[in-house]
Amino acid sequence: MIDLSILSQAYFSREHVARHQLDSYNHFLINNLQKVVDEQRVIETDIESRGKGNEPVSVELGDLKILKPLVREADGSQSELYPGEARLRNITYAAPIQLGLTLVQGGVRHEPVIATIGQLPIMVGSVACNLYGMTDEERTTHGEDPLDPGGYFIVNGTERVLMTLEDLASNKIMTEYTERYSERIYVAKVFSQFRGYRALVVVERNRKNLLEVTFPSVAGHLRFVDMMRALGMTSDADVVRAVSTDEEILTFMMQNLEESECETVECGVMYVGKKLAPNQTRDYQRKRAEFVLDNYLLPHLNYLMPRIVNEEDEECMKIVHSVRLAKAHFLGRMAEACFDLVLDRRRIDDKDHYANKRLKLAGDLMEDLFRISLNRLTRDIKYQLERASMRHRDLSIATAVRADVLTERLLHPLATGNWVGGRTGVSQLLDRVDHMSVLSHLRRVISPLSRSQPHFEARDLHPTQWGRICPSETPEGPNCGLVKNFAQMVEISKGVHSDDEVVRMLYGMGVERIGVEI
Amino acid sequence: MPSPKRIGKIEFGLLSPKEIRQMSVRKIIWADTYDDDGFPYPQGLMDLHLGVIDPGLRCKTCSQKSGECPGHFGHIELAKPVIHVGYTRLIRKLLRVTCRECGRLLLSDEEIEKIIGPEEEMGTDSVSEKDVKKERICPHCGEQQLKINFEKPTTFAEITTDDRGKKVENKLTPADIRARLEKIPDDDLQKLGIVGEVARPEWTIMTVLPVPPVTMRPSIILENGQRSEDDLTHKLVDIIRINQRFKENQDAGAPQLIIEDLWELLQYHVTTYIDNEVAGCPPARHRSGRPLKTLSQRLKGKDGRFRGSLSGKRVNFSSRTVISPNPNLSVNEVGIPQKIANEMTIPVQVTTFNIEELRRIVRVGPERPDLKSPCGANYVIRPDKRRIRLVKGTGTEDGNLDFVADQIEVGWIVERHLRDGDIVLFNRQPSLHRMSIMAHWVRLMDGKTFRLNPAVCPPYNADFDGDEMNLHIPQTEEARVEAAMLAAVQENILSPRFGGPIIGGIHDHISGIFLLTHRLRWFTKEETIDLLKNNHVDRLGEPGKVENGIPYWSNKQIFSKILPDDLNMVFRASSCINCDECKRVNCERDAYVQIIDGELISGVIDKKAVGAFDGAILHRIIRQYQYTRAAQFIDDMTRLSIRGIMHDGFTFAIDDEDLSKSDYGQIKEVLHRAAQDVERRIQIFEDGQLEPMPGRTPEETLEMQIMQVLGKARDNTGEIAGRHLGLSNSAVVMAVSGARGSMLNLTQMAGCVGQQAVRGERIMRGYEDRTLPHFKKDDRGAMAHGFVMNSYKSGLDPTEFFFHAIGGREGLVDTAVRTSQSGYLQRRMINALQDLKVAYDMTVRTTGGRIIQFEYGEDSTDPMKSSFGEPVDVEGIVSNILKEEI
Repeated sequence: MIDLSILSQAYFSREHVARHQLDSYNHFLINNLQKVVDEQRVIETDIESRGKGNEPVSVELGDLKILKPLVREADGSQSELYPGEARLRNITYAAPIQLGLTLVQGGVRHEPVIATIGQLPIMVGSVACNLYGMTDEERTTHGEDPLDPGGYFIVNGTERVLMTLEDLASNKIMTEYTERYSERIYVAKVFSQFRGYRALVVVERNRKNLLEVTFPSVAGHLRFVDMMRALGMTSDADVVRAVSTDEEILTFMMQNLEESECETVECGVMYVGKKLAPNQTRDYQRKRAEFVLDNYLLPHLNYLMPRIVNEEDEECMKIVHSVRLAKAHFLGRMAEACFDLVLDRRRIDDKDHYANKRLKLAGDLMEDLFRISLNRLTRDIKYQLERASMRHRDLSIATAVRADVLTERLLHPLATGNWVGGRTGVSQLLDRVDHMSVLSHLRRVISPLSRSQPHFEARDLHPTQWGRICPSETPEGPNCGLVKNFAQMVEISKGVHSDDEVVRMLYGMGVERIGVEI
Repeated sequence: MPSPKRIGKIEFGLLSPKEIRQMSVRKIIWADTYDDDGFPYPQGLMDLHLGVIDPGLRCKTCSQKSGECPGHFGHIELAKPVIHVGYTRLIRKLLRVTCRECGRLLLSDEEIEKIIGPEEEMGTDSVSEKDVKKERICPHCGEQQLKINFEKPTTFAEITTDDRGKKVENKLTPADIRARLEKIPDDDLQKLGIVGEVARPEWTIMTVLPVPPVTMRPSIILENGQRSEDDLTHKLVDIIRINQRFKENQDAGAPQLIIEDLWELLQYHVTTYIDNEVAGCPPARHRSGRPLKTLSQRLKGKDGRFRGSLSGKRVNFSSRTVISPNPNLSVNEVGIPQKIANEMTIPVQVTTFNIEELRRIVRVGPERPDLKSPCGANYVIRPDKRRIRLVKGTGTEDGNLDFVADQIEVGWIVERHLRDGDIVLFNRQPSLHRMSIMAHWVRLMDGKTFRLNPAVCPPYNADFDGDEMNLHIPQTEEARVEAAMLAAVQENILSPRFGGPIIGGIHDHISGIFLLTHRLRWFTKEETIDLLKNNHVDRLGEPGKVENGIPYWSNKQIFSKILPDDLNMVFRASSCINCDECKRVNCERDAYVQIIDGELISGVIDKKAVGAFDGAILHRIIRQYQYTRAAQFIDDMTRLSIRGIMHDGFTFAIDDEDLSKSDYGQIKEVLHRAAQDVERRIQIFEDGQLEPMPGRTPEETLEMQIMQVLGKARDNTGEIAGRHLGLSNSAVVMAVSGARGSMLNLTQMAGCVGQQAVRGERIMRGYEDRTLPHFKKDDRGAMAHGFVMNSYKSGLDPTEFFFHAIGGREGLVDTAVRTSQSGYLQRRMINALQDLKVAYDMTVRTTGGRIIQFEYGEDSTDPMKSSFGEPVDVEGIVSNILKEEI
C-alpha cells in the first residue's frame, strides 16, 4: 500500500491552500489584462465633427504593464510596499498600471506615451506581489507570516477575499420543462456569453408543435422558421437539415414550415424588424433587426464578427453572413434538443450536475471589473480630449489621462463587495478568527441562488461534487448548501485559450463541416 | 395624570377642507425653515405655532415648552386640487358607477333593489363596480357614459370616439374629477357603502393640505452644528415651492401647457409625500440617492409604526443575559447575578409599617456590597413625583444616603433593588406559547448568568449552548399577584396543548431515576441518607430488611419517600414492550409500575412516570394535590435522581459499542443476505418478471421492495446488537428509560447505519446512469444508491461517507427552511386568533361579537384541565380508589 498521506499533505501545503486564487489572478495579470485592453484598442473621439476645420483624433491603446506595489508618501517619494506595511498603515496594496498610448491626430501618429492609468490592487502572493519568490526568512524580515497562504487583497488596510462564484455553464444547450397555464412546455435554453455580455436565448415548443424563439431586446416570441430565414436560410430543406433528418422530427418541422410566413431572407429580417420597432420606417426596421440579430442573438458566436460592420465592404459582409448562418445552425441544434426532449430521447438537464457549473474566480471577477473600469477611463479620456480641443489647447495624452478614475472604479467594488452587475458580497473581509477559518474562507464558493427561497435541489449535496466540493463543510441556516467550500484536493481547470487549436483538433477527430465556411 | 375617559364613539371618515382649515393653527406659505439666526420663519414650515422642538422656546399656540407641547397642525392652500393617492381606487370606482352629467348612480331604483334589497331593510350590502355595465346610458338623465381609463398612479382619462371613429383619450384633471364627485348625492353614496356626512367623495381630491406638527418631523442637529431636516419636511418644502410657483404662473396667466406641467409636478410631490412606494411613480430621493421615508413608509412594514412601535416596543425594567443550569434551584426559582439585581428595582410605598426597613435600605444605597447583605435602592420618589437619585459618598464627595433616609416619610416611594423572594417574569424567544413567559422567584447568585433548573427547559425550549433569556420585573402589586397566580412555573406545568405536564425530568433525571429504581436494590443507612440528602426527609421509616443486624432500605422505598402518602396508581413504564399477556408484577423488565398508598410496590420509574411531556405520576399529583405539591415533587425527584445517577456513575465510551465476534459475523451475514436479496429482485425486474404493485410502475415497485429489504436488514442488525448490549450499557439505559436517543441510534452505532435517503427515495442523482464513478453504469444495487453497510463504530468507507453526507445535508436544509416557514405560519395564526374569547354564553366570539364556535372546542373543555383531552379522567379516579389497574 502506498502512503497516500504524502499526496494529501502536498495538497494541503501552504502553496496549495489558495492556489486557485493565485493561479486565476496570475492568469489575469499575464494574459487577460492585455486582452481586455486589446478589445478596446482605439478610443475614437468626436472632435472632427464638433468644431470647424478639426481633424479626426483618436488614441490607440498599446501594451499594458503592471509594476510592483508602491507607496507614495506625502512628500512625493515612492518606495516598495509590502503587505505587512499596507495592513499596519491602512493603505491599499496596489501597483501602478502603465499603458502605452498613441495619439493619432489627422494622419499624424505621435510618439507613444507611457502613462500611469491607475492603481491595480495586487493579490498577496501573486506574481506582481513583492513577496513573490521570497524565501521564508525573507518573508519574515518583511513582517510576513511564512505560513500565510496569500490569495487576498489589502484595501485600505483591510484584507478582502474575492469569493469564488458558482454559475450555470454558459454557451451550453440545456433542456427543461416549464409549466404555463397548466400545460407542459418543452424548452431548450442557452446562456450565451461573450465578452462579459450574457444573453438568455430560449427555443420552446408550444402545444401546437410550433417552435418559438425568445431572446433579449425582443418582447415576446418569434417564429422559429422565420428566424432561420432572417439568418439566411432560404430553402426549407436547409432549415430542416439544420434541425434534424429524423423522421419524427421531420413531421414536426413540416408543421412549422406551414406556419411560416416568410420565403426570403429579406422577409425574415422584416418580420423581426416589425416585432422590434413597430410603426417605423421599413429602412429603420431592417437596420434595427440586423443590429439586434448580430448583437443580441447568441452573442457567443460573434467571435469572428468584424469590429465595425461596413455594408459596402464585400469581404466584411461575407463574414457577417457566415456568422448569421452559424447562428441559424445553432438555433437548429436547440430546436433538435427541444424535439428530442418531446420525443423522450433526451432527459432534462440536471442543473445541479457539476459538469453544468462554471466557477468565476478572482481573476475572472477582476477581468469583469477591469473591463468596465477601463471603459469608463476611455470615456473620460475622450471627454478630456474633446474639452481640450474645444478650448483650443494642444492635445496631450498625459493631461487627458486621469488615473484616479480607474483607481476609484477598481477599489470601490473591492472595498464594499458591490461588484459590477449589481452583485453584492463578492469581496468579503478575510475571516482571521483563527488559521482554519482563513483557510476555509479562501476556498469558499458562493452560489448566486437566493437564500430566501427553499431551492431544495440546489442545496442538496450532489454526487458530482465528489472530490470538488467538501461534503461536510457548509453553514447551517439560510445559506445551507448554497455556500460551499472546495474539497482538499480540488483542481480547477481553465478554458482553452486558442480557438484554432480546438478547431484543428476537432477536424482531426473527424468532425465534418456543416457546409458554410466559418 | 388626567382621569381616564370613556370613549363614546369613533367616527371614520375623510377630513374635509373645512375641517383641515379649522384644525390648522397657521397657514404655511414659506418653504424656508430657519433664518440665519437659527430662528423659525413665521409662516414657514417650522413656525412656532406648529409646536416647538428646540428647548427654551415656547409654543405660540399653547405656550408650553418643548416636550410638553403636543404640536399643532398647519395647512397649505394648494393652487389647484390634487388627488390623494390612497383613494385612487375609490375615485375610479365612483367615476365608473356614476353619471358624468347628473352624478347619479348609473342604476335605476329597481336594479338597485335587485342588488341590495329593498330600501326599508337595507343591510350592509352595497353596490359594486361590477353591477354597473360599462358605457351605458344614464337611467336618470339619459346621458351616454364614457369609458374611464385609470393609469397608475394618479391619471384618469375618458375615452371618446372622434368623427373618424378613432379612440381619443381625454385627460381628466383633478378639478374635473372633483366637480363630478361633488355632484353625487348622499343617497346614492349610501348605496355604495359610503356615508356622505363624514366622507364626501370630493374630499379625496385635496384642495388644502394639512401640515403635520413639527413635533412629528423634528430636525436633528449634527455634530458640526448643521441642521438636518426630517424627510417629511423635505417633501413639504418641495410641495410649497411648486405650489408657490404654480400660483405665480397662474396669476401671470401662463400658457395651459405650463400650467398642466406644474399641476402634474404638484401632484407628483403630494403623491410621494403620502406614499413614496406607489407603482408607476419614481420614488422621491434624498440628495444622497436614498429614497425618502414619507407618511406611508412610516406606518408600513415590520419596523413601521404598527408592527415596530405599537405592537412591539422596547421596555424598561428588563434584562437579558446568558442562561446556565443549576439543578439545586427549585423549578420556580431563577438565579440572578448581583450586577443585574443592583440595577433592577421595585417601587415600594413607604408606610408606617415599613418605614424603618426602607430607611435601612436607602442607607445601603445604589450598590449592595455582596449577595448576603440586605438590598439597597437606586431612587426615591417624593409625593410630588420628583425623583431623587441615591448617591453613595466617596472619599472626596458626600453621598446623600443618610440625608435622604432621614427625610423619608409615609407616602414616598423607594425604588429598592431586587432581592431573594421577589417575583419576576422570565422569557425566552421565540415566544411560541404561553409557557414561553413564566414567573419565577428570585435567588441572587454569584456569576453573571441567569440560572434555571434544567427541568424548566422544555417549555422554554432552552438549552445552555449560549442561549440568552430576558427577565422583566413587574412594577405594581397587581402585576405581581397576577404573575404569581397565573404565570408562576407550577401553574404552567400542564400544557394547554394536550393537558399533560410539559415540565418534568429530562435527560439525566430520567437515567438517574431509572438506574435508582430499576429492579430491587438494597442500600445501607449511609447510602440511603446519601441518596436522600438533598431532599427534605425527616424520617427514613422502617428498613425493608435487616441482614446480619445491618438494616437495609430498598430503592423503591427510597423513591417512595418523595411520593405523597395516599397516592395510588398503576401504569406501564416506557420500557414496556407490550407483551401479548402482561406478566404484571413479575415483569422481567420491571415495567409494571404499581404505587399503593404512596409506596412504590413494583416497576421502574422512567420517562413515562416523571418525564416532561409524559409524567404520569406528575399528572396525577397535580390532579390530586394541586400545583404546589407537583412543583415540590419535581424538585424532589430531580434531586433524588441526580444523587442516584451520581451514586452509580454514568458514562458512555467508544467501547460501549463493541460487540462480540460472533455478533459481527451475524451482522455481516444478515447484510450479505440482504444484498443478495436485492440482487435477486433486481434480476427479476430486469427479466421483466416483476409484478408491479397496484398503481405503481415496476421501477417504483422495485425501489419500494429494495427499501423494505434494506430497512429490515438494518433492523435485524440492530436486534443482534441489542441482544448483546444489555442494561449494563449506558446507551441502552438511556434508550430504554426514554432519557435520550433510541435503539435506532444504537443500531447505527453498533450494527449498521442503513439506507441514506433524499426526500424519501434512495440516492438517484449524480453522473449519467450512476450516482458515483465508483460504480458501474445502471447499477441498481444497494451500495450504489446509498446503503451504508458499516456502523459508525466500524467506520464508513469513502462512498458510504459521501452518501451519508448527502442524507445528512437534507436534514440540515430541512431544519433551516422549516424554521423560517413555521415562524411566519405562527405569526399569521396569532393574528387570526388573537382577539377571540369565550363569551358568557359559552360561545367563542370575535371582538365584534361574531360567533366563531358555538361551544369552545365543541365540548367546552379546557385542554389544560383535561386529562390528555378527556374531560374526566375516569380511569385515574377509579384506579386511585380501587388501588389496582383497570
